[in-house]
Amino acid sequence: MESKSSGSATNLVDQLVYPGDVVLDLSSMTNQTIKLGGGLRQDCDVISVMKAGRLRFSKPNKYWVESSQKRYVPHAEDSVLGIVVDSRSDNFLVDIKGPAIAFLPVLAFEGGTRRNIPKFEVGALLYVRVVKANPGMNPELSCTDASGKAGEYGVLKEGYMFECSTGLSRMLLSSPTCPVLDTLGKKLSFEIAVGLNGRVWVIASSPPTTIIVANALINSEPLSGVQQKIMAEKLLQRVQ
Amino acid sequence: MEQRLANCVQLTVNEKQFIENALLSELRVDGRGPLEYRKLSIKFGKDDGSAEVQLGETRVMSFVSAQLVQPYKDRPNEGTLSIFTEFSPMADPSFEPGRPGESAVELGRIIDRGLRESRAIDTESLCILSAKLVWAIRIDIHILDNAGNLVDAANIAALASLLTFRRPECSLGGEDGQQVVVHPPEVREPLPLILHHLPVAVTFGFFSNENLVVLDPTYHEEAVMTGRMTATLNANGDVCAIQKPGEQGIFQHIIMHCLKLAHVKAGDITAKIKDAVEKHNNERALQKIKRRSSSVSVDVCGTTARLRGKQNQSGGGKDNSHLDQLKPKDEANFMECDATSSGQVQINKKDEGSKNFTGGPSSWYGKKDPYSECVNSDLLKAPMDSEC
Repeated sequence: MESKSSGSATNLVDQLVYPGDVVLDLSSMTNQTIKLGGGLRQDCDVISVMKAGRLRFSKPNKYWVESSQKRYVPHAEDSVLGIVVDSRSDNFLVDIKGPAIAFLPVLAFEGGTRRNIPKFEVGALLYVRVVKANPGMNPELSCTDASGKAGEYGVLKEGYMFECSTGLSRMLLSSPTCPVLDTLGKKLSFEIAVGLNGRVWVIASSPPTTIIVANALINSEPLSGVQQKIMAEKLLQRVQ
Repeated sequence: MEQRLANCVQLTVNEKQFIENALLSELRVDGRGPLEYRKLSIKFGKDDGSAEVQLGETRVMSFVSAQLVQPYKDRPNEGTLSIFTEFSPMADPSFEPGRPGESAVELGRIIDRGLRESRAIDTESLCILSAKLVWAIRIDIHILDNAGNLVDAANIAALASLLTFRRPECSLGGEDGQQVVVHPPEVREPLPLILHHLPVAVTFGFFSNENLVVLDPTYHEEAVMTGRMTATLNANGDVCAIQKPGEQGIFQHIIMHCLKLAHVKAGDITAKIKDAVEKHNNERALQKIKRRSSSVSVDVCGTTARLRGKQNQSGGGKDNSHLDQLKPKDEANFMECDATSSGQVQINKKDEGSKNFTGGPSSWYGKKDPYSECVNSDLLKAPMDSEC
């Protein structure tokens, strides 16, 4: 941790960082508020890295470390895809690929009352929002957005769901649209729902289209933007 | 209960419906046809008898090792074969460490039956001294990653490692022909096992629609399918074993159709295994030439071990050597294994990455050798934990 040059972090932004790297030296910066996201922590006067990944910075003062995992750590306000595993009298038990099973209250639906509790069978796929996620506790979910409207949340019927890493989910949700989705969208018509917990649901008019889209998305993870375009175009050519 | 639910991979109704619908139009989710195998790659480790097979995303590793033991009383001229499977928890969240579960035992039994009943391995050539000493072959199968169809991948791994395994050469000598000399690899080239044929396992999956048959199911297809069958055949078309564990009933003509398919696939897979083994053998031969010319001794620093008929002698070591004793119960003479100078008797060949195989039959879980009391296993084993 010592032999790292202290000072501004501009040389480390968008670089791979490892636990123990010093990112910022606060003694040289005065009267500035810095917001720290995941993977960073403050040790007296320095900000050091806790998780391996890429350091990101967004103006004016936000720093965080981005990394990709197979398992998901729940955070509040994340939109995720959950699978119903059981129902209790006041909660549905929903698996969101996290360390603990999440609870979805039976009333957490738009216009939900005790009289119109939805019935979900075991294995139903839901697009839900994480309301509360504290370490050690079961996360709490909701099928409404913060204002109580249903929006896009709810059960997803038919289609095909596959699992991926959290990094791929974030890439698919990034704006501007990621190249593979662009290329596929020009030729095929499909709909996807991306959960930040590493689950993606795809639906298209016919099974072959769904399979093409799903495979293209799975294969696009290690590729750069240009490579994604090439891969997607090759896949489309082979099929048509 | 909740923790266990959180640990398993869940299947959605969407996937189940989609997989079955796609199969109706002969499409599988990863783009394969219903009767296509995934990409198969076979790699070998540094030591003889270790192989790693990757079938799509499924990875299985296999090691073969051999030890001198007393044969079973009813088969005094034959060596023994045993298979152990380990389903590592890193392969699948539902695998638990410790005692093998039902599917682990089933996998071991399928491979075991394929090799044993069809007499693929020539066990009579493993006999050194009739009724006294034979080679016991042990196959250890480790599942590294479960992405469906573990049986086929594990079978290929077992066959590949059997084909590349080399056992030390032994010769009989001495006044009464009872002395057995185990030659280390430097002195005499170790010998391969004699395999008459390669029994290849081919797994089929059946779905609720009776006409749907898939080959080499993936993890999700296994969760969705309603019946399965594993047929073990060799390239000549001999059926070595069939395993159909209950579940859905299948029509006779579908089973016959599957067996014909399995014959074709067994031929393909046998060719691939043989290619990979031949390439590996060529590379090793080239390496050996290089090794001899630069006279660097790697691996075993073994010495000649001699088993003599002798009166009772204390098992203490003399200076640097180790005395290994074999005491068969019903023999008046004690046989000793004496290692001269600063060597160690290394009878086992194993991959350096494997868990230490500490030898004696009594430490093998699952199968209990009836003669474990006779053979003093502690003294038979070589000190495995020291670097050689």
